[in-house]
Amino acid sequence: MRPYKFSELNRRHLLLGAAATIAMPMILTRSAFAVTPDELKKRGKIIVGIQGDNPPWGFVNSSGKQEGFDADITELYAKELGVTYEFVPLEVANRIPALTAGRVDVLFATMAMFPDRAKAVQFSKPYVANIITLIAPKATVIKTNEDMGKLSGIAVPRGSAQATQVKKNAPAGTNILELDGDAATIQAMLSGQVQAVGGNMFYKDKLNESKPDTYEDKLEFQRVYNGACTRLGEKEINASINAFIDKIKANGELAKPYAKWMKQPVPQFPASIEGVSFSAS
Amino acid sequence: MDFGPVIEGFPRLLWGCVGTLGLALAGMALAIVIGISGVVLRDSRRAAVRWLVISFVELIRNTPFLVQIYFIFFALPFVGIRINPTPTAIIALGVNGGAYAIEIIRGGVQSINKGQVEAGYALGLRKSQVFRLVILKPALRAIYPSLASQFILLTLTTSIASAVAAYELTSVAKQIENDSFRSFEVYGVVTLLYFIMSWIMMTFLNLIWSRCLNYPVK
Amino acid sequence: MGEKEFIFLLQGLKWTLALTAIAFAGGIVSGLVVALARTSDSRTLARVTAGYISLFQGTPLLMQLFVVYYGLALAGLRLEAWQAVAIGFTLHASAYLGEIWRGSIEAVPRGQMEAAKALSLGYVSRMKDVILPQAIRISLPATVGFLVQLIKGTSLAAIVGFTELARAGGIISNQTFKPLLVYGVVGAMYFLICWPLSLLGTRLEHRLATATR
Repeated sequence: MRPYKFSELNRRHLLLGAAATIAMPMILTRSAFAVTPDELKKRGKIIVGIQGDNPPWGFVNSSGKQEGFDADITELYAKELGVTYEFVPLEVANRIPALTAGRVDVLFATMAMFPDRAKAVQFSKPYVANIITLIAPKATVIKTNEDMGKLSGIAVPRGSAQATQVKKNAPAGTNILELDGDAATIQAMLSGQVQAVGGNMFYKDKLNESKPDTYEDKLEFQRVYNGACTRLGEKEINASINAFIDKIKANGELAKPYAKWMKQPVPQFPASIEGVSFSAS
Repeated sequence: MDFGPVIEGFPRLLWGCVGTLGLALAGMALAIVIGISGVVLRDSRRAAVRWLVISFVELIRNTPFLVQIYFIFFALPFVGIRINPTPTAIIALGVNGGAYAIEIIRGGVQSINKGQVEAGYALGLRKSQVFRLVILKPALRAIYPSLASQFILLTLTTSIASAVAAYELTSVAKQIENDSFRSFEVYGVVTLLYFIMSWIMMTFLNLIWSRCLNYPVK
Repeated sequence: MGEKEFIFLLQGLKWTLALTAIAFAGGIVSGLVVALARTSDSRTLARVTAGYISLFQGTPLLMQLFVVYYGLALAGLRLEAWQAVAIGFTLHASAYLGEIWRGSIEAVPRGQMEAAKALSLGYVSRMKDVILPQAIRISLPATVGFLVQLIKGTSLAAIVGFTELARAGGIISNQTFKPLLVYGVVGAMYFLICWPLSLLGTRLEHRLATATR
């Protein structure tokens, strides 16, 4: 008698039931969409977007642990808020999308401050300085922007500050390879696929790890400042981060990760950058 | 949702489509060459050659295309073989497609009746003629649908070549996305462009069928 | 490349297998729905499903991942990276498995369906007791073959920044500066998982051909 009773279900019920099964996983989401420091404190954890393959700013070491300058700053901020922290390592091109999609609460991810980025995210006050450079082997001759056009190829990470700079400053017709991330860019240089890379001031250290004393900065494009990023319109967390940055500048806590990772003293930061506002309005 | 950047960048996207179709056609050509050569070598009298072909096919079919193209672009230079992005993509697509083509074409070749081959020799055809007219052409006709759908997949696989910055649609799409931050809009439109391109490829392959291979068979 | 680096690769492998398992499980359930919809008597449903299938089969997996990954966020769903990616793979699997199973449902001799209807079995019983058992058996080689494709497909999660095996390889390659070795090991890991499954699929295919002879 059982098969007969069961078969009274018709097709529609079957499809609806199966559809519900599929919908279930979508309901079990863990949201990263907290807006204010109070909500973060209530949740007890802050989810931070960081770079996973860009030493010394943010990188995952061989044991799978997140390290770097931005990691140390995250630790300090989390201590300030009294919460634990969780890192989400992100690709260069994926940093802003991850923030705007709500996957992370804040970005401490080597975010150089540019006006077009400031249209998509809210920057905090600057907390670290960077230099965007062109790096190549010492033997290669590159003295001016025009020399870039003579190279067989230049690699840059897609969506990065150096991608913008190289594209802006290289003569028309230069072969520019935009790759997915800092790791791929460095690999392109080391495998000889390109003759130069657009990077930041630490690329040469990474490159020289593989072949000591081979690489140097050839051109300096721009001095940039990095800030923490939050979503547009979220005033409280922006104010909280700005207060935190002021505090660690004043009491010398910023100097410690600066000495450890940047190997420089803390520089003077500009009071304002054109096109970029440090406070949410 | 803001489709402005997509509309603005549409000419670039169309050129990217041209790049994709170019890569796909070049990859297909290489795949057919590798496929037919592989089928011939697969029946070699020397066991070493047979095993080489078998290993090649199994290795390529059981590893991801992304890893294959990473290997060619980033690792091979360390043994002295340095290839630019677009040739890398063509070689990777040809090798990958070729491995599948070997298996598909081989299935067709094996389905040819031995009597056909004997009849060919009886008619005085040379060995190369027998292979071309009696074995290969009927085999291709028999397995054409499988090969065609594999080639449509190859056309779609070109999107992975963006990982080594080859010139094709996905690379262009990523650039537009990075400048505009309108990810969903860009990739949504690009997905439709790929859909149209796979339709174009299908029409092209159907055309080859009706021109070359659509002869009556008992 | 030392032990630590190797373990990092194994962790990437763990995520590759986890993503595959979730996508395959989800794909089986949704693929069955798709196959049933595709073979339903309702022409509209069959046509809409055919459109769904051809959309997934006519576009690159990478694009499908991107659209789901960014589209879900736009729709307001705040998901973790692995959840968005898993949903993308599941939808992809549902279309492909749906098409495979549609083929095998239609390969079951028509007489079976007619006999089942003659015995006045309802739709569910017809499917559950008569058609599907035979169809699933016919579909086994292609289903196993698709599982291999799925495992390889998870490597594309690397491009959205997810650290599965392929991305782990890129990271370690950058730390050890030995891409030949690292990508060789990564390829070998994929091979060791996929090859036995491929062989299983071939064996199933031969057994099926023998059985129906």
